[in-house]
Amino acid sequence: MERSFAKEVSLLRLGEGEIFEGEGILAITKALLESGVSYVTGYQGAPVSHLMDVFSDAKPLLDELGVVYAPAANEAGAASMLAASINYPVRGCAVWKSTVGTNVASDALSNLASAGVVGGVVMVVGEDYGEGASIMQERTHAFAMKSSMWLLDPRPDHENLVRTIGLAYEMSEASNTPVMVEVRIRACHLRGRFTARDNVRPKVSLHSPLTEPVFDYERVILPPSTYRQEKDKIARRFPAAKRFIVEHAMNEHLPGDVGDIGIIVQGGHANTLLRSLARLGLADAFGNSRIPILVLNVTYPIVEEEVTGFCADKRAVLVVEEGNPEYLEQAIGQALREASVHTKVLGKKCLPMAGEYTAEVMLAGVAKFIEGSMPAGIDIAAVARVAAEVAAPAERARALIGAELPQRPPGFCTGCPERPVFAAMKIVQNKDGPVHVAADIGCHSFATLPPFNMGSSILGYGLGLSSAAALAPLFGKKRTITVMGDGGFWHNGLSTGVSAAVQNGTDGVLIVMDNGYSSATGQQDIPSSRAEKREGPRIPIETALRAMGVTWIRTQGTYVVKDMVRTLREALTTKEGGLKVIVAQQECQLARQRRVKPEYARALKAGERVVRTRYGVDATTCTGDHSCIRLSGCPSLTLKENPDPLRSDPVAHVNQDCVGCSLCGEVADAAQLCPSFYRADIVSNPTRADARRLRWRDAVIARLQSWAERRAEARAAA
Amino acid sequence: MTRPLSILVSAMGGEGGGVLTDWIVGAAQRADLPVQGTSIPGVAQRTGATTYYIEMWPEPWPTLAGRRPVFGLGPSPGDVDVVIATELVEAGRCCERGFVSPDRTTLVASTRRVFATSEKSAMGDGRFDVARVMRAIREMPRRALLVDASAAEGQALNAVLLGRMAASGVVPIPLDALRAAIAAGVAPEANLRAFETGLALSGPQPAAAPASAPRASLPALLADAAASLPPEVLAVADIALPRLARYQSARYAATWMERVRRVLAADPAPGGNWRLSAEVARQLTLWMAYEDVVRIAQHKSSAARFAEIRAEVRARPGEPVTVTEHMKPGWEEVASLLPPAPGRALLRWAERTGRIEGGMSLRLRSTTLSGFLRLFLLARLRPWRPFTLRWAEEGAAIEEWLARVIQAAARGDHALAIEIAALPRLLKGYGETYRRGRRAFAAVMKGAVEPALAGPAGDPLAAGRVARAREAALADPEHAALRGALANA
Repeated sequence: MERSFAKEVSLLRLGEGEIFEGEGILAITKALLESGVSYVTGYQGAPVSHLMDVFSDAKPLLDELGVVYAPAANEAGAASMLAASINYPVRGCAVWKSTVGTNVASDALSNLASAGVVGGVVMVVGEDYGEGASIMQERTHAFAMKSSMWLLDPRPDHENLVRTIGLAYEMSEASNTPVMVEVRIRACHLRGRFTARDNVRPKVSLHSPLTEPVFDYERVILPPSTYRQEKDKIARRFPAAKRFIVEHAMNEHLPGDVGDIGIIVQGGHANTLLRSLARLGLADAFGNSRIPILVLNVTYPIVEEEVTGFCADKRAVLVVEEGNPEYLEQAIGQALREASVHTKVLGKKCLPMAGEYTAEVMLAGVAKFIEGSMPAGIDIAAVARVAAEVAAPAERARALIGAELPQRPPGFCTGCPERPVFAAMKIVQNKDGPVHVAADIGCHSFATLPPFNMGSSILGYGLGLSSAAALAPLFGKKRTITVMGDGGFWHNGLSTGVSAAVQNGTDGVLIVMDNGYSSATGQQDIPSSRAEKREGPRIPIETALRAMGVTWIRTQGTYVVKDMVRTLREALTTKEGGLKVIVAQQECQLARQRRVKPEYARALKAGERVVRTRYGVDATTCTGDHSCIRLSGCPSLTLKENPDPLRSDPVAHVNQDCVGCSLCGEVADAAQLCPSFYRADIVSNPTRADARRLRWRDAVIARLQSWAERRAEARAAA
Repeated sequence: MTRPLSILVSAMGGEGGGVLTDWIVGAAQRADLPVQGTSIPGVAQRTGATTYYIEMWPEPWPTLAGRRPVFGLGPSPGDVDVVIATELVEAGRCCERGFVSPDRTTLVASTRRVFATSEKSAMGDGRFDVARVMRAIREMPRRALLVDASAAEGQALNAVLLGRMAASGVVPIPLDALRAAIAAGVAPEANLRAFETGLALSGPQPAAAPASAPRASLPALLADAAASLPPEVLAVADIALPRLARYQSARYAATWMERVRRVLAADPAPGGNWRLSAEVARQLTLWMAYEDVVRIAQHKSSAARFAEIRAEVRARPGEPVTVTEHMKPGWEEVASLLPPAPGRALLRWAERTGRIEGGMSLRLRSTTLSGFLRLFLLARLRPWRPFTLRWAEEGAAIEEWLARVIQAAARGDHALAIEIAALPRLLKGYGETYRRGRRAFAAVMKGAVEPALAGPAGDPLAAGRVARAREAALADPEHAALRGALANA
């Protein structure tokens, strides 16, 4: 795994009254253990990848408590595992990235929500929205509404987060409904503190297993149960949930002295709101606001009486609700109308319909609301002044810089083994003409960015091959290429894309990046992982493909670009029909460096003979065309000032981050670029044999060099 | 106290911005200060630009009597106390987003550049003009604490920057709490050293003076040049003459003088400005010292280069270094070494049979005796060079180009002459890159220069058309922009 939590998991053992100081995901895990959870599962993906890593590193503690931990093959698998709580009084938790993960899970989720649960079910969903998000921008809220599940959006403060998760289990059991706890990107990685409680041993666990299987047709998704389940949702589960919310004061009501306006906010945005109010002079640093605020730690369902009660004596309320559609605003408006409360509801009129509610956006929206609603007792001019000044530094800086700064999107790491595959694809397309490339989810989707600009669409995790299913025949003899990672291959690609392509005899090329991990999410293990520590048998990708009936398979290392070029050309031109798969096999360099670096440092320190490899560019022979950079894009292949005073263009340069993967040299070779690249092998702690071998050789070379130098000097002086 | 203290860290994936955040949060916790840190993980960690954000209360928990400060999760423009940036353009980006304001922000930034892909992949020089960023960095913050790249050389930059921030006293965390937080983290010894380095930096570091290499002199030619060339051209001659003498011979250097004099004669030098001649002199030097097999062998077998590589890869004295060259000579290189007639015949054959693009991959170990001797012997082919196909071709192309420059200058089209003089910039690289450059050069000559010279003298738009065609040729390797520019011209 990219990040180890081995040290931090000791925090999960803290007992009653002890102070926990650490990251949000650890706090969530601690809350699960304090709630007596029997099983945990999930599928990795930012921003909750590390939650899976924490589970994995906490395995000894989970074993001790008897908690089942089983990472799923995808989110549908994780959601399906929650079925344990349909018939049995066991608490469970599943984790995934949303909304993409919720999309994959939603078949199982709909059925789970219809059947209902007797054991508490909590899904921790990482809302990947706003800055740092890697997916299309949608809201999880819609899933809660359509399946009648509850959605919690806790105010980001560890104390509140932990309390909310505990309540979520009780709420789930009180209303027999699965509960989603939504955590946003920054909240997942929040470092803060709370007072811990003792962990609770689950009643049903590995140590005290179930004995009696339960069969209850009322819990099965077939008519007439399904009709009764739908009625049960309306008649019993909704009212139970609303009662629970009120009785446990899950939503927080912050009073204020300004009586005629108020703000209703999603819990996740409460801190940003309070900081904005403080900046406008309307709150102190401890959350005491002059404007009354209703913090919705539960955003679905809303409790109509709570909302109408909050609004009744106010002329206007602002609804702070990120993203679209504005479900909360609509629901609040309807509740007020039904109760004949005539408070004006403003939301998207003050705050933008699309995009993240950053501090800047929030401040502008709140100021606009206050200026428009003119509450008594607030110095509106002062509010307007602060809001107007906010943009000043940015405007001044932009004027000073006066040009667009270069963008810096994510890209392949130094030495990434996927880069050579795209370099090869670029060389092939330069020679043989462009082909349609279907991309997929994973690090390799960075190939859609410069310098490769490759991959015309991304449809979902493991769906790349399916996304080319219509285009492959429509392009006729010109074959299409699909690029898929091993993560996507196991997540969905094998069962969805490969099986259909084989069944339909689709003619096309599939490249599977077999780098040994689900890399983009933080190097979690997958069925084809080779890591030594991993439990269970390894299933090579080629074996899986053969079993599916694929006959044209080439498994190949990636760094030798000219070999990859040859294989690609063969795949694109062979007379053989059907699916052609290239398994591009090379370990994720990030994972490799994590393994190799400490070992190298140890050996170096111990005085052992070690060899380090680096690449370099001869600045004298480089002519500054940068073709090598356009074909590689390696972060360590960069620019430096041309040492020749007569040349103006900077030369290519390999910086000290080089891991010696060889790609730049191979590319220069395969694309016949230039003779400027060299590889240097440096021997540290050389042995006496090294020294003996080199002494006379270096002496001969030095003699010849000095002879040549003297001749050149003589020529220049002539 | 009425508001929390805020710190924004701007870094690129893999630079240790997360570790830096952990140190600050950890140190604040050690000092019993209420603190909250957050980050934007995810894809940005793969080399993209990313930020980390910290808020803390400057007084310890016990003074708060049970109250909990509300901390923000992201920076607000005009409301950030400290910005730490690991790179210059990223520091500029923080200014541009409004996070650096004159009333409160202390900016701790490294002045090093890490080039973005768009800057690196330009065919010419695509680097962002750092002077623009420096303007913002000097004016926007309350205090700018810049750390020169060389000050952190070989040390963990995140720890150096933390030290620099700590020395400023703007964050109320005791030094020992910071040290303890670093000691509890990864690679404590190296990071503590780097932290102390940063702590010791009390102001902007002087930039290193540019290295200047004294050159061997060619007495006669240089004296002649000094006596007869205008200063702009002489500056080039001082580099050109020794370079060409080493490259081929003193006679070859004399050819350079003769060619430059021809242009000088035609150069009207408006207002005493010899820019045209200087540009021709510069381009002529680069072109005449074209990079051929012999030149590369000369360089790759030289003692100076061996020393350069040892320094570049940071090999310590006594550590053996093996150097392996990535070369791929093809038929084109072989042909270039033959006399013109057989060379051309070989090229025709290679083109006809599609072998022109191929090449033989050569992994040559220039530090072994056999590898070194091959390069050394190739370098000895220097006297043979004037009899080769490449020599003949380059010489003819140079003469044709000079003729065009002189033609334009002679008829008073000074601006056009300068643009033609700058055209050899398109000629660079090896193999396919070199062929592409030659195609572009020929296309601009035929499509823009020749029509301009065929038309009436004094067309004020002619120079612009040539300049646009040249820039278009550098816009994309497929020459789509060039075709467009020539079609419009």
